[in-house]
Amino acid sequence: MSMLIGWLKERIPVSGDRLREMTNEPVPNHLRRWWFCLGGTPAYLFVVQVVTGILLAFYYQPSSRTAYESVRYITEEAAFGWYLRGVHKWAATLMIAAVILHQMRVYFTGAYRKPREINWMVGMCLLVCTLMTGFTGYSLVFEQLSYWGATVGANITENVPVFGTLMKRMLLGGDTYNANTLSRFFILHAAVLPVTIVLLLGVHITLIRLQGVTELEFEDQEPGEQKHFNFFPDHFLTELMIGLVLMILLSVLATALPAEMGPKADPMSTPEVIKPEWFFYVTFRWLKLFSETTAILSMGFIAFLMFIWPLVDGAIRKRWKGSEASVWVGLFAVIAIVGLTVWEAFVAH
Amino acid sequence: MSEEVTPTTPPPADPSQDGPAPGCHAETPADPERRGFLGSLSSLAMAGGLAAGYGTFGCFAARYLYPAHAAATGWMFVCEVGRIAPGEALAYKLPDGAKVVIARQGSSGAAEDFVALSSVCPHLGCQVHWEGQNSRFFCPCHNGTFDPSGNPTGGPPKEPLPRYPLKVEDGLLFIEVPLEGLA
Repeated sequence: MSMLIGWLKERIPVSGDRLREMTNEPVPNHLRRWWFCLGGTPAYLFVVQVVTGILLAFYYQPSSRTAYESVRYITEEAAFGWYLRGVHKWAATLMIAAVILHQMRVYFTGAYRKPREINWMVGMCLLVCTLMTGFTGYSLVFEQLSYWGATVGANITENVPVFGTLMKRMLLGGDTYNANTLSRFFILHAAVLPVTIVLLLGVHITLIRLQGVTELEFEDQEPGEQKHFNFFPDHFLTELMIGLVLMILLSVLATALPAEMGPKADPMSTPEVIKPEWFFYVTFRWLKLFSETTAILSMGFIAFLMFIWPLVDGAIRKRWKGSEASVWVGLFAVIAIVGLTVWEAFVAH
Repeated sequence: MSEEVTPTTPPPADPSQDGPAPGCHAETPADPERRGFLGSLSSLAMAGGLAAGYGTFGCFAARYLYPAHAAATGWMFVCEVGRIAPGEALAYKLPDGAKVVIARQGSSGAAEDFVALSSVCPHLGCQVHWEGQNSRFFCPCHNGTFDPSGNPTGGPPKEPLPRYPLKVEDGLLFIEVPLEGLA
C-alpha cells in the first residue's frame, strides 16, 4: 500500500498537507443548522439527475414519432425503468425547490452583500439554467401537457425585444414545433445545460472557497463557543446524511407517486385544462393577467432586477445606512410568488 | 588518467571598443521602441488570427443551427367556388391533420368572399376550440376568446385569429397550407 502511495506521490506532486488545507475549509458553526445546508442539496440532486439521466438516455429516443413510445417503454417495460424515471422526475422537483429555498436563505440573511455580489449573480445564472433544464426535460416526454407547455414556452421567447424571433427559431428549429424540435430540446437538456451548470457550479464553489462562507451569529450562541468546525469529516458527514435522507425521500416519492404517462401529444388539440410544471405557475398566471408584451417585458425586468439586486441593495444601504428595505422587498416577492402559484394551482383557467 | 576538461568561455567583449566582439555577428543596438511596436503588432496579428479562426467556426456553427428554411407551404385545391353558397361553410382537412372551416361571406365569387380561420391562437400558439353555447372560440391556455369572425373579444390576445391565404383561379378555390406535419 505504501509502495502504491509512494508511486502515486511521485507522479502527482500534491502534498497531503496542501490537499488537507485546500479541502478542509473551516466551516462556520451556523452550518450545523440544516437549513444552512440547502446549497449542497441541489448540488447533490444534480448528481442524482446526471446519473439517472444517463440511464434514461439509454432507451429514450428524441423524435416526435418515437419519444412517447420510448418513455412508455422505460416506464412500463424496462426493468426498474419506472423507478429511475420517478427518481429523475422527483429529484428535478426537489432540486428546483432546494435552489429556490437556498436562494431565499441567502437573500434573507443578506449573504449576497459585498463582497459576494458576483456569486449571487452566478447563482442567478444557475437558477435560470435549472429552470430551463426543467422546462426542456418536461417537454421530452411528448405528452399533451408537455407538448403544449413547450409550444407556449417557445412562443414566449418570440416576444423578447430584438432577438425574440431568432431565439424562437433557434429553440424550435423552425417557425413552429416541428420534426427537429424534440432533438434540440434533448441536446439542450442532456448536454448544453448540464455542462453550463457544471461550469457555473465550479465558479460558484470557487468563489465560496475564496471568500469563505458568510459568518452569521445567533442570539442563542454561547460567548465562548468555538466559531468553526472542520469541513472534513464533520461537514462532509452532514452532507452524506442529507444525501441519504434525500435518497430515501426520492425512493418513497418515486414509489408512492410514480411518474405516469399522460395522453400522447396531439398538435391539433390543446387540452381543455392546461398547466405547466408547478415552478412555472407564477409566469403562467402572470401571462393571463397582462397582455403578452407587458407580461413578458415585466417578467424580464423582474428577473434583471433580481440579477442586479446586490448592487441595488448596496446603493440603498449606502444612501440609508443600515436600511433593511431588502427584507420588505423579499417578503413582498415571496408573498406574490406564493400567491400567484396557489392561485394558478387551484383554478382550472 | 583522465585529463581535466575546463569549460572555455569566449573573452568578454570590451565595452570600450566599438566593433563587434570576436566570434559574434554584427549587431546593431536594439531599438526598444521598434521592438515594442513589432511585439504589439505580432500580438495583434495573433489575436486577429485567433478571432478570425474561432469566429469563422462560430459563424459556421450558428448558421448550421439556424433553421434552413421557413416551413414549406403549398396551394391545395378546395372545391369549385359555386360549391359553397354565401352564408355557408365547408369543413376541410389539411395534410398535417388540422381541420379548417372555410366560410363564404360574399357573393362576388372572388377570394375575398371566403374566410378560412386558423385555429392557432395568436397569443402563444395554442389551439382554440369553438364553444357553441357561447358562440365564440376559446383558447384554454390563457383564456383568450374570439368572435365567430376570429376577432379578439377577451383575454390576453390582441390580434385576430390568423387566416389561411385563399385564391380563386378559373372558378376554383385554393388554400395555402403547410405541407409538413409534425410526425
